[in-house]
Amino acid sequence: MDILKVRDAQDVEQAVRAAIASEQPLEIIGHGSKRMVGQPIATNAVLDLSALNAVTSYEPNELILTVQAGAPMADLLSLIDSKNQQFSFEPMNTSQLLGTPDIGTIGGMISAGLAGPRRIQAGGARDHLLGVHAVSGFGDSYKAGGRVVKNVTGYDVCKLLAGAWGTLSVMTEVTLKVMPRAESERTLVLRGLDDIAANKAMTAALGSPFDVSGAAHLPGSALRTTQEALGEIAAPDQSVTLIRLEGITASASQRAVSLSTTLKSFGVAEILEDAGSAVLWTAVRDVTPFAASGPRAMWPVWRIVTPPASGGALGQAIAKGSQGEVIYDWGGGLIWAALPPSADAQAAQLRKLVNAAGGHATLIRAPEDVRRAIDVFHPQPQGIAALGERVRNSFDPKNILNRGRMSRGPGV
Amino acid sequence: MTIMMPAADQAVLARREAIIAALRKLVPGEGVISSAAEMLPYESDGLMAYRQPPMVVVLPDTTEQVSKVLKYCHENGIKVVPRGSGTSLSGGALPLADAVLLGLGKFKRVREIDFDNRAVVVEPGVTNLAISQAVAHAGFYYAPDPSSQIACSIGGNVAENSGGVHSLKYGMTTNNLLGCEIVLMSGEVIRVGGKTAETSGYDLMGIITGSEGLLGVITEITVRILQKPETARALMIGFAEVEHAGQCVADVISAGIIPGGMEMMDKPAIHAAEAFVHAGYPLDVEALLIIELDGPGVEVDELIKRVEKIALGCGSTTCQISTSEQERLLFWSGRKAAFPAVGRISPDYLCMDGTIPRAALPLVLRRMKEMSAKYGLGVANVFHAGDGNLHPLILYDANKPGELQLAEDFGADILRLCVEVGGVLTGEHGVGIEKRDLMPEMFSEVDLNQQQRIKCAFDAQGLLNPGKVFPTLHRCAELGRVHVHGGKLAFPDLPRF
Repeated sequence: MDILKVRDAQDVEQAVRAAIASEQPLEIIGHGSKRMVGQPIATNAVLDLSALNAVTSYEPNELILTVQAGAPMADLLSLIDSKNQQFSFEPMNTSQLLGTPDIGTIGGMISAGLAGPRRIQAGGARDHLLGVHAVSGFGDSYKAGGRVVKNVTGYDVCKLLAGAWGTLSVMTEVTLKVMPRAESERTLVLRGLDDIAANKAMTAALGSPFDVSGAAHLPGSALRTTQEALGEIAAPDQSVTLIRLEGITASASQRAVSLSTTLKSFGVAEILEDAGSAVLWTAVRDVTPFAASGPRAMWPVWRIVTPPASGGALGQAIAKGSQGEVIYDWGGGLIWAALPPSADAQAAQLRKLVNAAGGHATLIRAPEDVRRAIDVFHPQPQGIAALGERVRNSFDPKNILNRGRMSRGPGV
Repeated sequence: MTIMMPAADQAVLARREAIIAALRKLVPGEGVISSAAEMLPYESDGLMAYRQPPMVVVLPDTTEQVSKVLKYCHENGIKVVPRGSGTSLSGGALPLADAVLLGLGKFKRVREIDFDNRAVVVEPGVTNLAISQAVAHAGFYYAPDPSSQIACSIGGNVAENSGGVHSLKYGMTTNNLLGCEIVLMSGEVIRVGGKTAETSGYDLMGIITGSEGLLGVITEITVRILQKPETARALMIGFAEVEHAGQCVADVISAGIIPGGMEMMDKPAIHAAEAFVHAGYPLDVEALLIIELDGPGVEVDELIKRVEKIALGCGSTTCQISTSEQERLLFWSGRKAAFPAVGRISPDYLCMDGTIPRAALPLVLRRMKEMSAKYGLGVANVFHAGDGNLHPLILYDANKPGELQLAEDFGADILRLCVEVGGVLTGEHGVGIEKRDLMPEMFSEVDLNQQQRIKCAFDAQGLLNPGKVFPTLHRCAELGRVHVHGGKLAFPDLPRF
């Protein structure tokens, strides 16, 4: 296998142009931490961006960070943390779920677009990507967006690149919005609710004026497999429902008390503060109940995005039908489902339920033969699929970049 | 008129009567307007220096009719200009002489309110404010609040990715959408998103938002609604130097405070506003900041104290803090009326819309003063200081020969300056025709070609809103050609491992 370790954007351009000339598709990687997500890519040439790892500029007062796409997430997180800032969309660290040693690069994080619990309040990766330099499948370096938070000059190409899994362009530099970290956080813990009651409690919390920044539910079945953070707060087989509030200390603690009153029909809420609260949300964000080091290591894991208020019913139906386990984030709008292994990761049955609920499901973890056998990304209605393919074609007509990663459709 | 539009297609104009007759079959009743007098209200949008009667106005009221009209136009090579309420400040809805003006004003229904999923499904002609009004009884609102929110339509907001005073904290339109239905130029109806936080596949909704009516016609929108903050209070802070006000903005943000709104006005704007609404603005300051904190009462009270302290540290000369809702609204009244207030002191004005890095503000204001002297035209500045979005209002008199041209040149210089200091041509008003010819200041031909290729994926014949956004139009076949550089020698210089 050819691994091409690029040194700068010109190298990327040259590599893509050569790939076009030789009709050789390229697999684009940073640290390769998410390589096992998506349809398997048929190529033996890898474009490695990990040497493009410089911080171009970080201006805390402007809330702006510009970095090369291969910059390690771990470094960037500690850099912005040193200025008390954060990526508000709380990007997921996939290393536990996927069993990789590394949490990857910023380019990979944006290309995957996996936002954490605060997405319900702060938006996703797409909402924080302000500008980009990239190389298209035409072998051209181009830029889009800008380096300011408010910008409508030209098409919002950044939205397309976030979550495109490297199939539209090779990003070489990205500009992100960073935000101040909250001074304090509080988590309300409700115990013993079933999925439906928990969904109602989360809906009530999110419909309250208390500015909830996280709403998750972990059924007892999922907690059985978890030690550490979550294990400590849960009695065996007893579910926990978590509601997070962030802000200045006086505000977070007062809202926690007020919200407990609003939710009193769901039980008496325990209130966890700061570090005790934070550790729970890291576990929810990273889906640790289904960690690759745990008892569910061999189970395929689905990520299901669905209308939040009916998430409880959907999750329950999935768990029951598959003998699997689920956890809920985004107030019920995000369901992680680990299902007992099968040749198709139970895709047909699961997607039937998800379609009926108005959601969509992506297979995030599964062996290669399973990913080859089914649609990893949710099949789309014909019109949208065709438009999506035309859009892909408008960036990469020779299908050079991560060929076939998002679709098993024609042209692959 | 100094901005040139594409030449009208005489062959299409020659078929006008037949086209009108065909459209009447697709949109019956009063949905097709073709008399010169009745088309008059559609001749321009909010960029009123530019006027052009359309070939015909069509006002459908169902998605099916929109689809049929677009399909007919697509098959017959007829251009289409979509229009919401016509409040665009950049000429996005300016008609073309040989195009159908497709007005979405009849799409006025709120289709569904779903409090549990915090989502509202509306038709594109519903006004921005009407969404908030429809959910106010349950304590909810729709966050983006462009100044024109009484009149502007949500469909237009999606097309332009509208912002507003609160966008620093609550985002622009794109950050508050869940789904939409669009009709492509071919007539095909596509639905993306829904009541879910994310769409599946590529973020097509993201690229449609802010595409200025070039990619599709929006016929239904699902927006996210939020609970109203418990309370909101404002500070009105005066500074003897613009630099001090700029420093205050930076210090508030570095302190980790994201205000609901943070607005700056310079001396000419303060004076014009005060003379108009008597908000009690201090007249002896060079810059005025209005900073609004919203949220739970205990939080707002605490943050007000912190901001006041920061302002003092930056050398504020006056500081008033609202103690009632009435007083808060009074503080805002001058800022909200700034455009009409400036309209009273000048026969005409041009409203610009660049964004700059906040740190560049003093430099930009200084340079603008120099330009003002050079062009002999006054300028008043209102500024969404929190997110660096400038609105210089250039004062001119259209009745004086050459002054519009002079004002446009001045405006172009300001936008070039925005780009020069690391900013962008437009923060929220859109490119439209107004900034179209300035796009090369910010983007190379390669950058613009990639954007136009996306257009080709949606509208390969270039029939939807042509002449807007892009200074040079290329044929899709030409843009789609892949140039093979060099031979088959793969990656000669790159390190391998």
